[in-house]
Amino acid sequence: MTGAAGAAGAAGAALAVRKLSVSYGNVVAVHDATFTVAEGDACAIIGPNGNGKSSILMGVTGMVRRRGGVEIFGAEARNGDVRWAARHGLTLVPERRQLYPDLSTADNILLGCYTWTRSIGKARKSASFGRAMDLFPELKPHLKQLAGTLSGGQQQMVAIARGLAADPKILAVDEPCLGLAEAVAKRVYDALGKIHEQGTTLIVVEEAPRRALTLCNRRVEVRNGVAGDSVAGAA
Amino acid sequence: MMKFGNLLIAGITTGAIYAMFAVCVSVWYRVSNILNLAVGDFAMVGALGVDNLYRVKGLPLPVAIITTLLVVAAFAYVYDQIVLRIAQDGPRRMDGIVVTFFFTFALSFFIDGVAKMLFGTDVHAAPALWNGDSLSLGSLHFERAGLLVLGCAVIIGGAFWVYIRFTLGGKALEASGENSVGARIVGIDTRRYRRLIFVGTAVIAAIFGIVESPITGFTYLSGATISLTGFLAAAYGGFRKPGRALLAGLFIGVLEAMLGGYVSPEYGDTVMYAILAALVLAWPRQLGFESAVGG
Repeated sequence: MTGAAGAAGAAGAALAVRKLSVSYGNVVAVHDATFTVAEGDACAIIGPNGNGKSSILMGVTGMVRRRGGVEIFGAEARNGDVRWAARHGLTLVPERRQLYPDLSTADNILLGCYTWTRSIGKARKSASFGRAMDLFPELKPHLKQLAGTLSGGQQQMVAIARGLAADPKILAVDEPCLGLAEAVAKRVYDALGKIHEQGTTLIVVEEAPRRALTLCNRRVEVRNGVAGDSVAGAA
Repeated sequence: MMKFGNLLIAGITTGAIYAMFAVCVSVWYRVSNILNLAVGDFAMVGALGVDNLYRVKGLPLPVAIITTLLVVAAFAYVYDQIVLRIAQDGPRRMDGIVVTFFFTFALSFFIDGVAKMLFGTDVHAAPALWNGDSLSLGSLHFERAGLLVLGCAVIIGGAFWVYIRFTLGGKALEASGENSVGARIVGIDTRRYRRLIFVGTAVIAAIFGIVESPITGFTYLSGATISLTGFLAAAYGGFRKPGRALLAGLFIGVLEAMLGGYVSPEYGDTVMYAILAALVLAWPRQLGFESAVGG
């Protein structure tokens, strides 16, 4: 499996993860996860709750310290450096959205651009900000509203839009439909599908594989913090 | 009417100072979740430091001012790098009331102690930067130092407002105070903002100390009173709303002047604190106190 991952890495994998481990104190959340995601893939990371799916994304994006190697488009990612990962094309849309409740919707999305610029003018005029806004026309009437007052579904859209504003080549989305009604969840997945069609590589963490697998052409299964060995090729 | 006008001017002048300290406290609290109880002590160091270098050591005034501000900035930087980094960023980071109050409270005592050794216990003031009689407009009198204070408040307050409202860095600053996880996701370095604002507000406080001290005079203990009033005004914005903190500071200044002028110079402060307490009890939510408690 490691050999296959190496071969895929040589062929220009978007993301190559080797023997990734994440621990919180003495608790090991992820143990030796190894998998690759090719450019243009839509990859689902699935498995029961509390088995380390989110921790994989947290480790890969640098939100928590990790052991093991992560390559983003062939470059070795710096441990614990979210900004580096974002600048090299990997952006996280985190679990529970992690918005800024007292800032406006527009500012929440705009701050995605902070990964690549300090200029508010450049951010507002950028293609990535425009793309994020275009993808969710239903947010237009709420742009001046405080993000904390939006509905759950709208907040999820803001979180995804913020991720897009960072101009990612790989978008890692953690549990996008947690607590959302079926119709809203469908809308979120439609948007993710569109992002994928536009050429962005997608990684989606889902507890419920059914929805994820309608979109994804690849899956990584996680059980008890072990992921690498159970990588199943195309679903 | 003339008395009212002059009291209003005096009130707005002191209010502007309270407002600036309140803004400094609440902007930094937004970023770091720490209440800066030492902000007034930086003002005291500004005033007494300039006085000491200029009057005692005989340095030229501009050199004295620049040296003092550099020392304050360097000290704030080192304090952040050592104490706050261990407290907030280290492997054994601390949460809750210890971090919120303790470290800056201790810092306040530390600065007071050092100031007592260096500057003694007498009342001193930095030399007036703009000399001359008070300016008159009809029967209204404007102290020149007071006008300088107002000018500084407008410039610095305006700069803060523009920064927070119209720049991506300012929005990042707000974001890092609201959700540190969400801030890290877009690459915002929360620690850098904490350091930047801490050093920045320390220097701003020192500037206000220098400009204001000719009006009231400072001793090594003056810092605590200023911190307290700034803290109080910031509380009226739930510690998180610099705009409201600014209004509250102005309001407290004007109220203080009016009570001192019309009610009683001796009991003015007592009545003022009674009014402030009554306001909190009457409208806790509207004044931001519930959000302060709820985080």
